[in-house]
Amino acid sequence: MNETPDLSVRLGPLRLEHPLINASGTMEIFELAEVFGREILDRPPVAAYVPKTITVDARSGNPPPRILETPAGMINAIGLSGEGLEAFVRHCLPRLLELPCPLILSVGGFSLEEYVTLASGLREALDGALGDVWPAKAGLELNISCPNLHTGCVSMGSDPGETGQVVAAVRKVWPGLLVAKLTPNVADIGAIGRAAEAAGADAIAAVNTYKGLVVDRTTLKPYLGNVTGGLSGPAIKPLALRAVYDLFESVNVPIIGMGGVATAQDALEFISCGAQVVAVGSAAFREPGLGARLAVELRTALEDRGLTLGVLRGCAHSPC
Amino acid sequence: MTAASAPAGEQAGGLPAARSLARVAANRTLGSLVWLTLEVPGWPGARPGQFTLLQAQDSRCFLGRALSVAQEQGEFVSFLIAPVGEGTRELCALREGERVWVLGPLGNGFDVRALTGGRKRLLVVAGGVGAAPFPLLLSRLGCQDVSEPAEAAEVLVLLGFRDAAQAAGAQPVIDAAAALQERGVMCRMDVVTENGSLGRAEKVTETLQRDLRPGDGLAVCGPWAMCAAVARICAAVADMEAWFSLEAGMACGVGSCHGCVIPLADGTAARVCREGPVFTTQAVFSSGFGPAAGAAER
Repeated sequence: MNETPDLSVRLGPLRLEHPLINASGTMEIFELAEVFGREILDRPPVAAYVPKTITVDARSGNPPPRILETPAGMINAIGLSGEGLEAFVRHCLPRLLELPCPLILSVGGFSLEEYVTLASGLREALDGALGDVWPAKAGLELNISCPNLHTGCVSMGSDPGETGQVVAAVRKVWPGLLVAKLTPNVADIGAIGRAAEAAGADAIAAVNTYKGLVVDRTTLKPYLGNVTGGLSGPAIKPLALRAVYDLFESVNVPIIGMGGVATAQDALEFISCGAQVVAVGSAAFREPGLGARLAVELRTALEDRGLTLGVLRGCAHSPC
Repeated sequence: MTAASAPAGEQAGGLPAARSLARVAANRTLGSLVWLTLEVPGWPGARPGQFTLLQAQDSRCFLGRALSVAQEQGEFVSFLIAPVGEGTRELCALREGERVWVLGPLGNGFDVRALTGGRKRLLVVAGGVGAAPFPLLLSRLGCQDVSEPAEAAEVLVLLGFRDAAQAAGAQPVIDAAAALQERGVMCRMDVVTENGSLGRAEKVTETLQRDLRPGDGLAVCGPWAMCAAVARICAAVADMEAWFSLEAGMACGVGSCHGCVIPLADGTAARVCREGPVFTTQAVFSSGFGPAAGAAER
């Protein structure tokens, strides 16, 4: 390869400058701008920005403690705290639309109807703000996989039938990119992916966190206020790679791969297993600019190996 | 915080929000605590009470550790560290020349003007390694050449430690207090230990109970239980204003993960890293003396 590899990728109607984005709930870009300076809004560290999951109503989230470091990772039980749809549309969305990169808006509901309400509300707001060109700017991610809620959400995403129903219902009201973000806490993630694809999902994101529990070493009781939490970080990378590998064999739509990505080598591995786009999450907590750094290093890694993204994608599935 | 005082990474790296790799300039053992001084390229200067996330370059831990900026001189930044868990033990074991990732300064810090403005007396109250933010705070008092000149007629520093070994960590506070005296601000110190191996055998909250007067302003840092006890003592005294620098288990330190929230008295919640770590009594302790947000290391 003599030419610099092209890192741009398509995700439905969205064009991403490179394959690195963030996992929902791991980056507050406007907070980063206040702490590190507004330049980050002109040059976001991700090729598409995924805000924290939006719920219909405002939620305070789970009681503390909510996080703990674990070997090679961390566990969290935040519980989808947020301001709710109405406040998001009024206060947050206008600022998000000024970012230079595409958006993938994450929504989480406690019923099928709530997902439809969220998609309809966002569509209406985008219609009003940008007219009919918005599908090139904003996609929708259905969070049907948060392990820290006890109803709706992950219980739907754990069943192929219910996954198909919620994706199909949202598909009717959402003409833009539609992503189903899947939980790995199931026996057969490929079956869930197939159900989402059949119901009209344009892409599959995998994985959300692995449900786990940490014990307080003094009291010997569950440490987290929510008792259980979601495990993330390099500890889950082999598990997440296996999920992406299975999904690549199960679906034809693009896959957004994530789970413990911390280095450019990790990104190479996820893409080789079949990911079109790779998300950083927990590792960006220690280094908020991680996505941008990995994009630079991914380019170098592809050059060093004489690979293009197209050749790399899914190459783990080919015979030697 | 304005972009003009944005954390070090932006200046040091080509990419926004990069962290910077600092060099260990000195590691001084102070009893059971460690005084770690880093040379941080592009360090923009911190407000007292601001913190950084520190992670040894070859750390076996996944995340950085939130540590108060204890003192600074140009790009030399010092931290008072207790080896509590794996991450802090790694930091305490670093030798001169070794490298540390630094993200910061982060958080709000103490408002020095509000602490001292119009008050006769400022009380600094710290428990154990909670003494960390106070060398820098004392260094900012009585200075005419800093952006936040602040005057307090008198400063009383009350430090409580577990034992004499931990109390050796008081030295940087003692040094800063001496310098404050030289700048003409009356500054008295009282160091106590729980087991009586240095100073009186009492808790610093007992010292405070004796010394507190109506109209005092307080800057407090220490374990959650100590902070809650200080808040209870203050509630019984008229015209008091206290600011608490709180500790919480943190992942990101910048407001992204929502992991370090504490309940506020008005029923809302705040992130210790972003809305804090410095909170007023009214904000945090007015209703009940809320639960801790988890420890940084355990």
